[in-house]
Amino acid sequence: MSLKDKIINRSKIYIKSSGLSFLVFIGLIIYLLPGCSKEPIREVTQNPPVDTSKVTYNNGVFVVNEGNFNWINASVTYIDNKSGSVYQDIFNQANNRGLGDVAQSMKVLGSKGFIIVNNNDRIEVVSLKDFRSIKSITGFNSPRYIEFIDSSKAYVTNMRKNISVVNLKTMTIEKDISTPYWTESLLHYGQYMFVTCIGSFNESSANRKAQVYVVDTRTDKIIDSIMMGKEPVSITVDRKNKIWVICTGGYDNYEAPTLKRIDPALMIVEKTFTFPVQQGVPSKLCMNPTRDTLYFINGGVFQMSANATELPAQALIPANGHLFYGLDVNPQNGLVYVSDAVNYVQSGYVFKCSQSSGQILNTYLAGRIPGSFCFTSSSKK
Amino acid sequence: MLGQSDLSQIPVSAFDEIEVLYGASGLTKTSGAFGGVVNLVTNPDWNNRIHAKVAQTIASFDNYTTEVGFIGGSSSFQSNTRLNFTSAVNDFPYYDDFTKEQVTQHDASVLQYGITEEAFWKIKDKHLFTARVWYSYDDRDIPPVVAGSSTYYPQKMLNKTLRSIIEYKLVEKFWNFSVKTSLVNQFMNYRNDSMFINNDHRYYTWFTSARFTWTRVKNLSVKPGLDYTYDYVKSDAYSGIKTRNTLGLYLEASYRFNDHVKTQMILREDYLDGAFMPFVPSLGLEYKPFNAINLYLSANAFRNYRYPTLNDLYWAFWGNPDLKPEFDNGIEGGITYNYLSDNGKFFIETAVSGYYSWMHDMIVWNPVPENPSVWRPQNVSEVNARGIEASLNLKWKISRLQITSSNNYTFCKSTYEKTTSPEDQSLGKQLIYIPEDTYNGTLNLNCWNFILGYNLVFVNKRYTSTDNQSYMPWYSLSNIILGKSFNLSNFVLSLQVKVNNLFDVDYQSVKNWPMPGRNYSLTARFEFKR
Repeated sequence: MSLKDKIINRSKIYIKSSGLSFLVFIGLIIYLLPGCSKEPIREVTQNPPVDTSKVTYNNGVFVVNEGNFNWINASVTYIDNKSGSVYQDIFNQANNRGLGDVAQSMKVLGSKGFIIVNNNDRIEVVSLKDFRSIKSITGFNSPRYIEFIDSSKAYVTNMRKNISVVNLKTMTIEKDISTPYWTESLLHYGQYMFVTCIGSFNESSANRKAQVYVVDTRTDKIIDSIMMGKEPVSITVDRKNKIWVICTGGYDNYEAPTLKRIDPALMIVEKTFTFPVQQGVPSKLCMNPTRDTLYFINGGVFQMSANATELPAQALIPANGHLFYGLDVNPQNGLVYVSDAVNYVQSGYVFKCSQSSGQILNTYLAGRIPGSFCFTSSSKK
Repeated sequence: MLGQSDLSQIPVSAFDEIEVLYGASGLTKTSGAFGGVVNLVTNPDWNNRIHAKVAQTIASFDNYTTEVGFIGGSSSFQSNTRLNFTSAVNDFPYYDDFTKEQVTQHDASVLQYGITEEAFWKIKDKHLFTARVWYSYDDRDIPPVVAGSSTYYPQKMLNKTLRSIIEYKLVEKFWNFSVKTSLVNQFMNYRNDSMFINNDHRYYTWFTSARFTWTRVKNLSVKPGLDYTYDYVKSDAYSGIKTRNTLGLYLEASYRFNDHVKTQMILREDYLDGAFMPFVPSLGLEYKPFNAINLYLSANAFRNYRYPTLNDLYWAFWGNPDLKPEFDNGIEGGITYNYLSDNGKFFIETAVSGYYSWMHDMIVWNPVPENPSVWRPQNVSEVNARGIEASLNLKWKISRLQITSSNNYTFCKSTYEKTTSPEDQSLGKQLIYIPEDTYNGTLNLNCWNFILGYNLVFVNKRYTSTDNQSYMPWYSLSNIILGKSFNLSNFVLSLQVKVNNLFDVDYQSVKNWPMPGRNYSLTARFEFKR
């Protein structure tokens, strides 16, 4: 072997060995590199939501998605009535932060929306122009629902204790109406507020005192109470000024669920409809725009005339495997909106249905656990 | 919780090794256990006379750990005493996505201590008596989630456990017999001010097990056994006292056809509170094709079940007493290879295994409509789990330098196979929070009593919705150890510095649960051995 060949051979070996060490080096980089990512590791959504910067919220339906308890994934979905477009997670998009943990309900007053974030003890007040947060009202005790008395005053129910009286001018809690118990659903009736009370949060149904408080909204004093079935969760009023309350019978199936009719003039229960035991838990009582027909969920969606003498036997919209979770009727056009929470751990759906036949007219994708609806004041079509 | 033990509460120092028996091999220890049984094992060293050790660790976020151990005895008696104490504040800083500012974790402190006494007594290599007593105390605050309630309501968990075990083993030429009885007394208090919960739970378990091994016939080993478990729970969260009696009948047989083929069969039948539980068999085959090469092939088919925990069944109002056990049917197979060089300086071991299993009636806690805080367990889900586990371990001695490396990779595809709702998009999708890929590797270099170690953990994305539309992205963490030990006749002093999360990755393992960034620990260990 000549000297030249030797040199060539050596350099080949050198190239080979340096190639090897280069590979080792690359290997080490690959080994170490993943650790260097500086981007915070946070939840990512496969399909980023449609841009909402140009959306105005004046004719549509807000779907309040509860989200999972302690997952901080509550959101609001907006269905535009004109275009039929669906916008997901609109609060996050407008405010660059999540809505919070467990969004229970939403109500509109004028140009403002009030979203109750239950497990954050907070109400987010948003402008309906762009859904930007105007104010976070804090200091609630696990808030549930809000009802406006006039443009300056509202009541908020709480799971832990007290009915909060909110000053809508200053956007603060002005005072508490003392109730040691869980207050749930509200109905503004004349000068009164009818407030359902489930009883003590940490007791079993046997020890819970279920009732409807009658609060005088001028004095903010509880002036009367009406005994209810266990867990009165939903309250509404019909055209004949009869007040209706759904009682689930208790989370521990303490008694049969009931639908009660109250005569507000006498402040007494004048009629009780008893549901068959072990056939579901009725909830989400609401009325059609003419206030002569009741709707509620009991597995399927049921429709019942306010003049009926017994409970409906057939569902208007049978469950057929759906997990119906939220229900409301658009007060402008009577269309029925019902949500499907599916299995609670994925995006839910909203069905828009015909008032009379219950036929599904449209299906919309929503967020995690869609639980309630809120209609804009000019929600036509 | 009750009926299950929280591994985070078992100080690893209290045991020499933690043996995790995956899949079917878990059947040998107890039934009703799914996804493997964790067995805590300590083995006596009969050559030991005196071995004392003290270790102190100081770590970030006011984390202090003290461990003391004394092992002493003769060739027929050994006693092992261990104490450990940990206190941690865990007030690490993290970025709050909600308030957009740096905050400090609060209400995350832990106070933990334990004492273990083990005594081993051997008579003529024929009788072995073992007695163990172990007390542990664990008091911890449960911290809030990121941007959790604006008002934080304290959550606390207190756990006091006393465990005692007496074991006797008789070894004869063609048979041996062992009997073991243990008593567990556990007290737990869970307080959650946001839910108005302040519950005491008292839990007693009496477990007795007998095993007989017969090896009279060459190449055949037959091992019948009998287990009895009595559970007693008095809990504020249950209505009334709950008890459970489980009688288990067990048979293990293995036969070696020749130097190449071995089979094993395990049969188990439980009789639980007057009802026969599903029969659980497992059948395995091991094949070594070559004489000179350490290559092993194995295959296994099994069926197992997991009985619902007492909480699943009896948690006040929310438990579901009508629950059925979960089922698992599956097969697994693997290849193992190892090689040790003639001079003993190089060792490599690698194993690849795959499994395929189908779980029925899986218990899932679902919220009850109208009350988001009420979840009730139901036998709703069906899951198909299949995957691959691969490992590569190396030991290499180059003059004074010793290199050791262990690498473990798992691929796990676990999918939902049953849906109840027409809109459910979860069919065939990966289970939430189960990553498809994980890797854990370490590389240690030893030289002149110095140790330099690097550990890399990789966890691929974990879905947060059953329709797999949202997920937590992958993350990897690096940890590094630098240590030096000084040997002085019978004394060893070692010092170790550890940096965890070396690259200060801002990650969340579970959505909204903050994790600490880069943190440090310093350990000094002093040992005396004679």
